[in-house]
Amino acid sequence: MNLSVRGKLDRVFTAATGLSVVLLTLVLVAILGPMVYRGSSAVFFQGTVEFRKMQRNLFGRGDEQLLHAEVAETEEFRRQVYDMIDGFKKGVDVEAMSEQAREIHRQFGQELRDKNLPADQYTKLRELTRQIRDKLDSAFHSQDIDEIQRMVAEVLKNADNPQLKDTSAEKLFAIARQFLQAARQIDLSKHHEYAAALREVEGILFHSETLPGLLGPRPGEPAAPLVMLRYGATRWDQAQALLDRFLWVQEWVEEKPGHPLVMKRRVRAESFPPSLRPLFAYVEQNAGKMLRPQRTVYWQFLIDDNVNSHYFGGIGPEILGTMLITVIGMLFVIPLGIISAAYLVECSSDGWTMRIIRMGINTLAGVPSIVFGLFGLAFFVLFLFPLLGFEPKPCILAASMTLAVLTLPVMIRASEEAIRAVPPSYKEGSLALGASRFHTFLAVTFPAALPGILTGVILSLSRIAGETAPILFTGAVSLGAVPHSVFAPTRTLSYGSYDMAVGDRLAMMVPHNQYGMVVALMMLILILNAAAILLRSRVFKKLRGQ
Amino acid sequence: MSREKKEDMQTLALTSDIRRSNIRTTIPTIDRKERTPKPAGDVCECAIIRSENFSLYYGSKVGVENITMDIYPCSVTAIIGPSGCGKSTFLRSINRMNDLIPHIRTEGKLLVDGHDIYDKRTNLVNLCQQVGMVFQKPNPFPKSIFDNVAYGPSLQGVRNKGELQNAVEQSLRAAALWDEVKDDLKKSALALSGGQQQRLCIARALATKPRVLLMDEPCSALDPIATGRIEDLMGQLQSTYTIVIVTHSMQQAARVSERAAFFCLGELIEYDRTSKIFENPSKKETEDYVTGRFG
Amino acid sequence: MNDANLTLTLAPAAEAPRPLALTPAQDLRGYLGAHLGRALLFFITFTSVLAVLLILVFVVVRSVGFLSQSSLTEFIASQSWRPTAEEPVFGALAIIAGSLYVSFAALVFAVPLGILAAVFLSDIISWKVRNVVKPLVEILAAIPSVAYGFFAVVVLAPWMQNQFGFSTGTNALNAALILAIMALPTIISVSEDSISALGRELREASYSCGATRLETIVRAVIPAAHSGIIAAAVLGMMRAIGETMVVWMASGNAPQIPHPWWDLAQSVRTLTATIAGEMGETPEASLHRGALFAMGVLLLLMTFGMNVISEYFLTRAKKASGRT
Repeated sequence: MNLSVRGKLDRVFTAATGLSVVLLTLVLVAILGPMVYRGSSAVFFQGTVEFRKMQRNLFGRGDEQLLHAEVAETEEFRRQVYDMIDGFKKGVDVEAMSEQAREIHRQFGQELRDKNLPADQYTKLRELTRQIRDKLDSAFHSQDIDEIQRMVAEVLKNADNPQLKDTSAEKLFAIARQFLQAARQIDLSKHHEYAAALREVEGILFHSETLPGLLGPRPGEPAAPLVMLRYGATRWDQAQALLDRFLWVQEWVEEKPGHPLVMKRRVRAESFPPSLRPLFAYVEQNAGKMLRPQRTVYWQFLIDDNVNSHYFGGIGPEILGTMLITVIGMLFVIPLGIISAAYLVECSSDGWTMRIIRMGINTLAGVPSIVFGLFGLAFFVLFLFPLLGFEPKPCILAASMTLAVLTLPVMIRASEEAIRAVPPSYKEGSLALGASRFHTFLAVTFPAALPGILTGVILSLSRIAGETAPILFTGAVSLGAVPHSVFAPTRTLSYGSYDMAVGDRLAMMVPHNQYGMVVALMMLILILNAAAILLRSRVFKKLRGQ
Repeated sequence: MSREKKEDMQTLALTSDIRRSNIRTTIPTIDRKERTPKPAGDVCECAIIRSENFSLYYGSKVGVENITMDIYPCSVTAIIGPSGCGKSTFLRSINRMNDLIPHIRTEGKLLVDGHDIYDKRTNLVNLCQQVGMVFQKPNPFPKSIFDNVAYGPSLQGVRNKGELQNAVEQSLRAAALWDEVKDDLKKSALALSGGQQQRLCIARALATKPRVLLMDEPCSALDPIATGRIEDLMGQLQSTYTIVIVTHSMQQAARVSERAAFFCLGELIEYDRTSKIFENPSKKETEDYVTGRFG
Repeated sequence: MNDANLTLTLAPAAEAPRPLALTPAQDLRGYLGAHLGRALLFFITFTSVLAVLLILVFVVVRSVGFLSQSSLTEFIASQSWRPTAEEPVFGALAIIAGSLYVSFAALVFAVPLGILAAVFLSDIISWKVRNVVKPLVEILAAIPSVAYGFFAVVVLAPWMQNQFGFSTGTNALNAALILAIMALPTIISVSEDSISALGRELREASYSCGATRLETIVRAVIPAAHSGIIAAAVLGMMRAIGETMVVWMASGNAPQIPHPWWDLAQSVRTLTATIAGEMGETPEASLHRGALFAMGVLLLLMTFGMNVISEYFLTRAKKASGRT
């Protein structure tokens, strides 16, 4: 082969190897970067007045007086929205108006009965209002403006009837006038469409059956059973997403038959008559004043319990559960691992026992994590617990012990490496001074190996904290109380991350909490690993005598 | 640490060593000619270590074979020979350091103070306490200077702080290190220079009050100045201790020892007074070796 | 220091030398201490072996009921997995195939990349750069699998769906890509170990014959290190086949054999995901639960086998590099 070709090939190869590492780095950045960025928004974000309301009511944080003042200020701006919608509703929501008319009629009947009128007079008045009501009802449902005008005029003829003066029946006339005024401005044929569109808008602004809205429920409305429906957008990014949904309608349209659907956006204001259109401009311009976003550091995310499956609140119990499982697991792993490693190094021989032990450790390291889950369920939960008189239920203790078995090889290998790395001259020096092997290990070898062993401890910690599969059946739950004993199951960061990734739709609506959970887990583990790497490099430097 | 800085430190350590060694030269060393060597050859009753047909095997490999020799108290005995001849193996047999190696097997007897140390019922703790050892490479523990020297006494159950301090000071003085380190005994032993570390190891061995001091090429990792200081130290110590030294350097053996044993291929070829070995050896191999024809 | 002081300090003979012979009591105590202590340590160390045995026993025992009542041929030859039907069918073939399928697919991505990266680390960059790159690989290994799964479901799946127009983003390709990332650290570190263990002599010999770096690596280094590289691939496969959370979350969980076979955009289901997904809903002592434990046994057998293979190649690699 030509020399220059060989040279070029060589360079290409070198570049390819370099590229592979660059690719690796890119993958790492692509995974970590966006996740960490989005996860950190669980703690750092622009919180709205609704957030502060929620914090005050659910967690008792913040100054009540200040909050009241703030709420009052925002209410001023919100009032306009309420008025605009109410005004429009009077012309459009015919079902509501019919219902209202009927209600007034009933109320009027009650009033008449209370007055103890003679029977014939009572019947007459009742008959009159019933006619008025029916006429109004048919006017509401009519789509012809002339007919409506005629019918409303007929109704209003009775407005001067002295017997109806100062009674609740007067309200009927008010409704009739308002309706006529509104009906003149809108396209009556679109009654139902308007009503439906208005309901949607109300859902976005206040709240729907299942989803919270931009501003939260209107003042005076009875509290919704779901806590999350009692507050508007607590975060400015959430508010902007809702605002976007408020201003634009998204539709999937089939442009040509047979082609995939295409998403189209159109201005929502266009689906309403001009009388309501100012509402959209008003909300868009005054959203900031109605919600008052403020830079917020919600560090309590790390200690708060969640509300309504992670819609509000934080990941406190998950962190606590992870820590509990990890710490209890380490109680088993650390002594077992160090003693095993010490035995392997100090009492090593090439006998068959040693080979079996090594094989056991290697095999254990290769067992799939889910099989540890099966083992934990079959051995600890269903066999050992009944044997010891405990309830055979998944719990923290079972999860910790399962994870301890899982991480034992990590601990043994790291400690063994650390103990082996201690120069044999230390050991010889100590033995030559008449120390026993046991004393030599405790006084010389162990302290010298300690940084390396600590590295192993940290790596085991991070392994235990991050594993999910083994605790699926042995102690993790997605919902439940904060555990009070080691015989209770617990929520953990790892299982919580799984649950929020594939769980209900609700989690998708709070990506900050979704990402926040998984990023908390990753940060915990990355910090532990970084500590291990630093510790190890320092140990290496020390051993090389720098 | 940058390279320049490291070199700086090294030269600094070197110059300070030179300075100290200048001071040391004013101290009179014991004149070797004035010593009265004990008769070699005849089996003297006062021999402190006696090897009778001692052999040691690593599995099927021979470490040393059929060694018979006596080592006398209060003198320096050098073991010389080409590498791989088993001289370190023999030395390490004397305090059973070879036990760390798996699959070793011994034959014959090795008596210390008349007790066969390869007997099953040997108090290894007392053995190691009586037979101290200094290794090829300085191996201070990664602890403070004080803790290093106090390690031995505290093993023997000395807990009293004052007693420990006394023992440390005495040992460091005996190893001619006290003046250099007395102000920072809490400093890490690893911060000392190589020569200082080796003297610390000697002090550590002395602190257990041994009768025999085994030295396994104690100067091979040191520069000539530090080597000189260790050799001076040996000259001083031999009045009270029995020293057995393994060395590569024939000059060193000639300088420090009273007797010399020449090992080759695991066997003891010749054992006599140093002057005889170097000036008028009785065996051909010995002559070849000391005249540099092989090895 | 002066000589008077010196003689003062050197007075070992004043103390009576301690006897070298053990008293019978000391002898007994030493004997018991050494043997009992050793036995105790041995039993503690034996925990690992005990754990392996217990895992084997308890997982096998739980599956015995299923294996005796149901036909083994159906289990490994039928593609129909209907555990909750009126007449349940436990055919795990598609699931076993799914496990192997995603693992092999992951290896196809990971092995070439891993070898290139290993060569880069061992032969091309300096020690200093290597010390920066290595932690990167370690971080890749440290990220918990549930975080990878999260990434697969929440980020990668919608992206793939939009970008390539797949019918679902959770499919074999998604799972294989993530598994490849997870297997990479193992593959890189094991093959890098075996490549750099070969020493400079081999490379110098090749360079001195006038070979370029590419030729040296491809024709001398990699052939010499092939045992280690095979072991790396097997260990990577082991990691992939035993991985649970990622495949459960990212593979789509449809018990089917992709058709055509190279179509990675279809959903598959693996053994681990089936166990993880269905164990929670099975009543105790049911056939279904037994079947899941039988899957666990199968997984154990696979990993044991791969463990033996990798050990064999690792020993060979060690011998080849001249270390013991």
